[in-house]
Amino acid sequence: MSLLFPSQEFDEAVAAVCHGQASDEQARALNELLRVDAAARDEYLLRVELHTRLASDAELFAAAAGAAAYPDLKALGSARAPNTVALPQRGSGRRPVVNWAIGLAACFLILAALSVAWFKRSSSRKLTSMAVAMLSQAVSPRWNSRADARAVGTALEPGWLRLKSGLVQATFYSGTRLVVEGPAQVRLVSPGEAFCEAGRIVAVVPAQARGFRMGTPQIKVTDLGTEFGLDVKRGSAEVHVFKGEVVYQAEAATKQNLKQGKAIVVDSDGVERQVSADPAAFASLFGLERKWLAALDQRYKDWRTASARRNLDPSLLAHFDFEDIVPSEWTLHNVASWVSRAPDATIVGCQVTEGRWPGKRALEYRSMSDRVRLNVPGEFQALTLAVWVNVKGLDRQFNSLFMCDGFDPGTLHWQIRNNGALDLGVQGPRATDVQIFASPPVVGLNQFGQWLYLATVVDGKRRRVIHYVNGTVVSQHELKHPPPYRVGTAELGNWNPGEIPDKPPFLIRHFSGAMDEFALFNRALSDAEIRALYFEGKPQPDN
Amino acid sequence: MPFDPKHSGADQAAAQQRFLSLFLRSEREVFRYVAALVPNVADAEDIVQQTALTLWEKFDSYDPTQPFTPWACRFALNKALHWIERRQRWQGLLAGGLAEELANRREELRPELERRLRHLDACLNKLPPEHLKLVEGYYHRRTGIEALAGGSGRTVEATYKMLQRVRHSLRACIETAVRQEGASP
Repeated sequence: MSLLFPSQEFDEAVAAVCHGQASDEQARALNELLRVDAAARDEYLLRVELHTRLASDAELFAAAAGAAAYPDLKALGSARAPNTVALPQRGSGRRPVVNWAIGLAACFLILAALSVAWFKRSSSRKLTSMAVAMLSQAVSPRWNSRADARAVGTALEPGWLRLKSGLVQATFYSGTRLVVEGPAQVRLVSPGEAFCEAGRIVAVVPAQARGFRMGTPQIKVTDLGTEFGLDVKRGSAEVHVFKGEVVYQAEAATKQNLKQGKAIVVDSDGVERQVSADPAAFASLFGLERKWLAALDQRYKDWRTASARRNLDPSLLAHFDFEDIVPSEWTLHNVASWVSRAPDATIVGCQVTEGRWPGKRALEYRSMSDRVRLNVPGEFQALTLAVWVNVKGLDRQFNSLFMCDGFDPGTLHWQIRNNGALDLGVQGPRATDVQIFASPPVVGLNQFGQWLYLATVVDGKRRRVIHYVNGTVVSQHELKHPPPYRVGTAELGNWNPGEIPDKPPFLIRHFSGAMDEFALFNRALSDAEIRALYFEGKPQPDN
Repeated sequence: MPFDPKHSGADQAAAQQRFLSLFLRSEREVFRYVAALVPNVADAEDIVQQTALTLWEKFDSYDPTQPFTPWACRFALNKALHWIERRQRWQGLLAGGLAEELANRREELRPELERRLRHLDACLNKLPPEHLKLVEGYYHRRTGIEALAGGSGRTVEATYKMLQRVRHSLRACIETAVRQEGASP
């Protein structure tokens, strides 16, 4: 496709770019045109500027539609800033932007909001994904830069994987698995295509992914249902077929077949020669599965050691590690060691499932009656809640994590909203007097199915509430209600409205997903402690 | 990563205030700068957010005698280029140095762009109510395209088409206004 200017196609391509809807073809054609045609470039800039103004000049609409003045701070402003309180705002409805922005509390909020920018992308507005593969395993990966780092379990969009060292496995949605050994530069193109600029790769292409294409600067390989190795160095490329058959084509040459046990070497002058395939040269890549399982097992052991030490913390009111749950027994043991700990909890419903590591147990919540009931007597100046969860979906308006029964004074309600925001309610003296602290959306489609460490600190002394995801602050809020805070009877993963006169029909608030560790401390843990707990418990040995 | 350990207490709070008041004043310009490269609003906003984080990290190196916006835009360009790198479609659009070229040319054209966009307000007011409602919904209220389409009984595709047409008529209106301006100085 090539574009003319002016033309209807040009108009359409520019509009598509503005809407984020351009096809690869349109993008490339526009690029070619804009690079050579100065008039087209200027027209393009003007149109884009018009579009951009409409998106960023709120006064235009204040005048045109008589709308209330709206802060022109979309990227940072109300759309993203954590909404601390669902109670009526003080003052008039008008939001004085400057005062709001420079208030100290707001500073914290904004910076916290900024720090979750990367989360927000994943919970994006539209339910579409460009992903073509997922990162399925990794052993000691060192990525080229922090921006290149990918965690195991993340969806991979078309683009580069840049690895300094270590092994990673990308599983394409077509079924093809690529084991990549660093140093490597591999570009994912589509579910059926990748390009290797440099590095060593073993590709396992199942029958349903037959036709998978693997490019290199020297040679193109089309798979006919196989397992093959690829070694691309400065200027040269080698293709070794371990199983099945591939078709390869060096630059300007005709396509040729390469059968099992054979290899082709193309040197920097483009000279080809056939040799025998050498699986031994790729031995380090074949061992990925074994190394991966060994690394996971090590993580599990490390966590056990760390966890046993944590249990000695006198501030630990409850610690459920879900290690010794037996399906026939309905008791969940509180493994905290101090006598001041809360009693064991009772499991109602739920299924036993696999937790963060092979062999580690967890509880799965599926139905609206699934819950774990516990009782934590006492009054507290501060509380820290922390849980490892694997969210399957946010089916309910509120999805319970840890919920005190009813609405007694000083009690807490910790849940995930259906927009992915982490939400803590702290009850004041009266049932209607609740202060709600919601983070920006942090649990989205890209987080579903992954183990997440959610933590919230209620700090009565410093009067603040801080939400954390995977050890990082996602929002911080000013807490009005003074201590003491209470728990009493409560539930993990569900909610009991308790003794409320003329009970209205309450929302179903059960959690959907798995939970494999919960801890409740009677003090405010520091940022560093939360981070340490995350690193002790994170399932993957990657980065 | 929340706060810079170099600062503490009051210093930190003061630095945050300075940073925020500067950033918030520049944010619109930074957004437009980024959006000239990545026009899709949601993507541009994400880049601006990432830029803001970097700016705060680098705030120590900002020379307060220099204007803030150009300083911020330099980081925004890097962020945008980096962001583009990982997205094939945008890479296709901006490959071969086009990103830098667009950023430079936009700078040169700025007086020209301003002269035209001055008329945007008046031109918006001339739109038929239905069109104004659509533009307001899409750009100002940030209603999703599905919701906009659903609300008007159009398909998503037709709604995008209609947005394109409305921008086209705004563009035409601006051109007319500029010509009249030229005719009667």
